[in-house]
Amino acid sequence: MITLAYYPGCTLYTKGKNLDIAARKSAELLGVELKELESWNCCGAIYSPVTDDIASQVAPIRNLIEAQKISRKLVTLCAACYNVLKRANRNLFLPENYQYRKRLLNYLEESYDGSTETIHYLEMLRDIVGFENLKTHVQKHLTSLRVAAYYGCLMVRPSEELMFDNPDNPTVMEEMFLALGASPVNYAFKTECCGGYIVVNQPEVAKRCAQTILENIANAGAECIATTCPLCQYSLDNQQKVMSKEYKLPVFYFTQLLALSIGISPELLNFDNHYIDPKPLLKEKGLLL
Amino acid sequence: MLPNLRSNEELLKEIENLSGQRIIDCYQCGECTAGCPVAFAMEPVPNQAIRLLQLGYIDEVLKSSGIWLCASCNVCGERCPRGVDYGKIADALRTINLRNNNYPLVLEKIDKEFINQAPQQAFIAAFRKLTT
Repeated sequence: MITLAYYPGCTLYTKGKNLDIAARKSAELLGVELKELESWNCCGAIYSPVTDDIASQVAPIRNLIEAQKISRKLVTLCAACYNVLKRANRNLFLPENYQYRKRLLNYLEESYDGSTETIHYLEMLRDIVGFENLKTHVQKHLTSLRVAAYYGCLMVRPSEELMFDNPDNPTVMEEMFLALGASPVNYAFKTECCGGYIVVNQPEVAKRCAQTILENIANAGAECIATTCPLCQYSLDNQQKVMSKEYKLPVFYFTQLLALSIGISPELLNFDNHYIDPKPLLKEKGLLL
Repeated sequence: MLPNLRSNEELLKEIENLSGQRIIDCYQCGECTAGCPVAFAMEPVPNQAIRLLQLGYIDEVLKSSGIWLCASCNVCGERCPRGVDYGKIADALRTINLRNNNYPLVLEKIDKEFINQAPQQAFIAAFRKLTT
């Protein structure tokens, strides 16, 4: 058993709990203990690139310091947390930001040298658990499940800062699904923005962003979607109720399908807590009784 | 009306400093606007906004609705062949507005049912980008 620091972020105890619960249970089964930071705060949910905005960087850096009490690597699940924590650390420790760094670190109680490495849960699966190893844990093969792996923007961009995967055609989630026996579909808009936070004041614009992606996914022949972000999940799932066309595409968190496949009880995975009911599809595929 | 180039010089410098971008570097290829997922609703669209800044029409861009529509998805900056990140410029323009107490989000107008359903991160991000 390996122990890694884990940061759930603002949404994963409540609206995003389907992402969190399935991830923790799965990690345990795969030999990784995710140890939640003892004292954490919201990362800010969106990165501020404004060059004199020091206040916005205090919160993410504080979490990175807290992580050092557990491990050098910090695992995140939410795409937004991943983006904010990783960029805050990288940009603060650029050599040319020496003065800025000195000022910011003055706000914090503890010293910090920038050595916490933020990794996404998918990177943990690939680099620490390993996809070959993951295959040996599969109890229910997701055979013939045509899933659209949806990354959105925050996982992959800016690629120079995140270095997560190819910014236009990332494949790590598809690699996970192949290990679970599923059939990921190829489609064009896997890194297109779902509209993000503009749903709060411009719902009509955000709706059109989500509809463009759903149309693309439906045309590619997918039966369901997998996301890594509570806001993407909301945008693609809940917004289907206000669309002019019925897509009936269930939107999972990737961890729900992972957990189901490696034998975690479906009762723990909250399949009732979706707008588009995913149970008929899972029953049809023999994945749910 | 013709722009007052001299008085705008300082404001342009502030935008460049806050964004870390060189506005003059843009050669108007339109890649940012082509990739922007909300360009259909944006006024002016990203490359137009940059051109207006280059020509000295700073107030027109500062007061436009387009700068508030950016969803911070980073496509424009990712794909720019000249290394100009419009998302960062939009953030600098918003920051100047926010510091003058100008912002578009009216909290009372947010739908109650939406508040119950949407994830917290949407509100935190929106409050950070669209309010002070």
